[in-house]
Amino acid sequence: MIRKQKWLQLLILCGIVAAGFLAIGGSLFSQEEKPPEKGDAMLDFTLDGLDGQANSLASYKGQPIVLNFWGTFCEPCVREMPLLERFHQEHVDEGLQVIGVNLNEPVVSVRSFVRETDVSFQILLDKDVVRKRYGVLYFPTTFFIDKDGTIQEILIGEMTEPMLLSALNKIGVKGQPGGST
Amino acid sequence: MIHNTKCECGHQNPVGTVLCESCGKPQQDEDSAELLEMRYDGVARRSQKQQKNWIDQIWSFLSSVKVAVWLILITLIGASLGTIYPQQNVFVGNIDLAQYYETQYGTLGKIYYMLGLHDTYGSFWFQGLLVLIGASLVVCSLDRVLPLYRALKKQQIRKHLSFIKRQKVSHETRLDLTDGETAEEWTEKFEQVLRKRYYRVHRDGTALLAEKYRFSRWGPYINHIGLIIFLLAVLLRSMTAWEVDYVPIQEGKIAQIPGTKYYLENQEFRVEYYEQDELTPEFREQGRTIEKSFETDAVLYECVDNCDNPSMEPELNKLKEQTIFVNGPLTYQGLSVFEVHFEETPQLLHVQAQLRMKGPDEVIGTLDLDIANPQDVYTVGDYTLRVIGYYPEVSFKEGRFVTLSNDPNAPAFVFLIEGPELPEDGYVHVYMVRPVDQAQFQQDVLNETAGSPFELSVASMEDLVISDYTTYFNVKQERTMPFIWTGATISMIGLILGFYWHHRRIWLRIDNGVLTIGAHTNKNWFGIRQELTNALNKAGVEVDAKTIANEVNGS
Repeated sequence: MIRKQKWLQLLILCGIVAAGFLAIGGSLFSQEEKPPEKGDAMLDFTLDGLDGQANSLASYKGQPIVLNFWGTFCEPCVREMPLLERFHQEHVDEGLQVIGVNLNEPVVSVRSFVRETDVSFQILLDKDVVRKRYGVLYFPTTFFIDKDGTIQEILIGEMTEPMLLSALNKIGVKGQPGGST
Repeated sequence: MIHNTKCECGHQNPVGTVLCESCGKPQQDEDSAELLEMRYDGVARRSQKQQKNWIDQIWSFLSSVKVAVWLILITLIGASLGTIYPQQNVFVGNIDLAQYYETQYGTLGKIYYMLGLHDTYGSFWFQGLLVLIGASLVVCSLDRVLPLYRALKKQQIRKHLSFIKRQKVSHETRLDLTDGETAEEWTEKFEQVLRKRYYRVHRDGTALLAEKYRFSRWGPYINHIGLIIFLLAVLLRSMTAWEVDYVPIQEGKIAQIPGTKYYLENQEFRVEYYEQDELTPEFREQGRTIEKSFETDAVLYECVDNCDNPSMEPELNKLKEQTIFVNGPLTYQGLSVFEVHFEETPQLLHVQAQLRMKGPDEVIGTLDLDIANPQDVYTVGDYTLRVIGYYPEVSFKEGRFVTLSNDPNAPAFVFLIEGPELPEDGYVHVYMVRPVDQAQFQQDVLNETAGSPFELSVASMEDLVISDYTTYFNVKQERTMPFIWTGATISMIGLILGFYWHHRRIWLRIDNGVLTIGAHTNKNWFGIRQELTNALNKAGVEVDAKTIANEVNGS
């Protein structure tokens, strides 16, 4: 009788511990993905480019990456494009990868914009999925990711040349101000 | 020294027994005249063991009612903290919570957020408290109900005299028998009196045990089972239920319910406003339009393939079609889609424009434009129209066309038209859908300057598909309500059982002409005293309620 009781006691206490783990563990380790902050690892994603080919962010790992969220309707984004394009051309041989993630616009709009402005860096087309995952609320927002895939800098708003130079420095790209076009 | 637990009646009791399981004789305080402690009929409980190993220590901690009350108090105070500032689940959209609490409520708000109180009810410590309360419920109940059940199952009819005399209701008197009546006959007569009062009577010669409403003792334990089910359901709910608030969907469009695999289509929206004469004078003065009712024809879909892939269209499976009106949600397997709000957001969805050559009235063909998803190339008759520019909200800045936003509020297309009998480079043609834009940006002048011989226009309003409204939905999934109702119902049944009936027992023995009678109940002593008094009077023993109340302990 007593042995049976003890076994029952132990069983009940184990059940309570299990319930406790479920309850407390559930709230402590919530699986919701949080938008990455400075110092976090980049979140991988796969989007189509203008050519219709799928590109994944992880495929660029090992190179410094500039991830710029933009739209044709966003004036500051359009204003900083030439700057980004210049730095892309100056440092592409060093391995710098500039990627423009377009915010859910029709392909035709993006294509005609690219044609008009002669942007040559990689443009990817998002459907509001990657924007949400990266927690992008204001446009433009630019993430600077180093060779190990860690986000070293996040710049919100239009970037000036000094800002861009300083951020590029953080991911190991030494730029020159006022370079040749 | 081994403590002897064998009663003088011969029964071997477990260590810790207060009243002998068989005859009821008190195992301690044998010579006292004090009222007996009748809790759980005096049987040994697990938590009262003297030698405790670590399991027993945890067990006796959890089985303490004092601890349970403290747990409930702490949980109460903790829960009240969550009512000071709004919790995080009332916010719609992406808000930086840390910023919000600090700017809105100052330093207190900042501390509130840092302590995690913005999600009080989901926090680990609150959930932990609930688990402890559940554990306490389980252990408290088991610790008491098992011994109680065993005790009540095997009850002796002939109890020890000291057991009966030390009950809270007790009486001892010489029995005055009418001529010829034996003690046993009197006992039988008394048995009949009690049976009439719905007692279950067991008689052994001149000893008697009468009992009724034993089931009421299980009431509190049934109540606890109900509460445990309720708590488990709450735990399950916190892991499985979800809600998405304020999902806007434009009439005529399908959108994903954020964070889920469900898609909702707003097929048609209808609103009815109050007539002026239906309004009260106060409202009429204000001059507002008040909506009487609004409803949305909605279709619920589920994504079955290509769901997380931004570069591919998701494959949708239709689940249910229904007209949703306020407080009339679309329900599907525990999912509820409520309509909460609407806004007038006129938007162009589709345009069917006619392509003509300038001059002759002959229509070359129709251009079918899906404003939300324009194609790269269109074919009209023998001509190809290539979209070289698309501006959802067109404007002119610094000598070029730009778009002000991604919403098709003022759509404009720039086509390159190529085809037979046209120059190799084709013609550039600007088409603005809204006449107001055509006028403002001088569309016709632009086309003339570009040399385009074409004309693109809509014949009538019939060729435009405009959607005027956006409906806002609230979507939630909840599958645990049946369990919560079950737990609550069982709890209620337990409470009713415990409150409306009371367990009553009467012990009686006649030894050498002396009648000793005692009674016990768990509630409503007044009632049993009355009942016993009436029964004894009916059987010929003159007593009143005061006589049988055992005032030894002066309570």
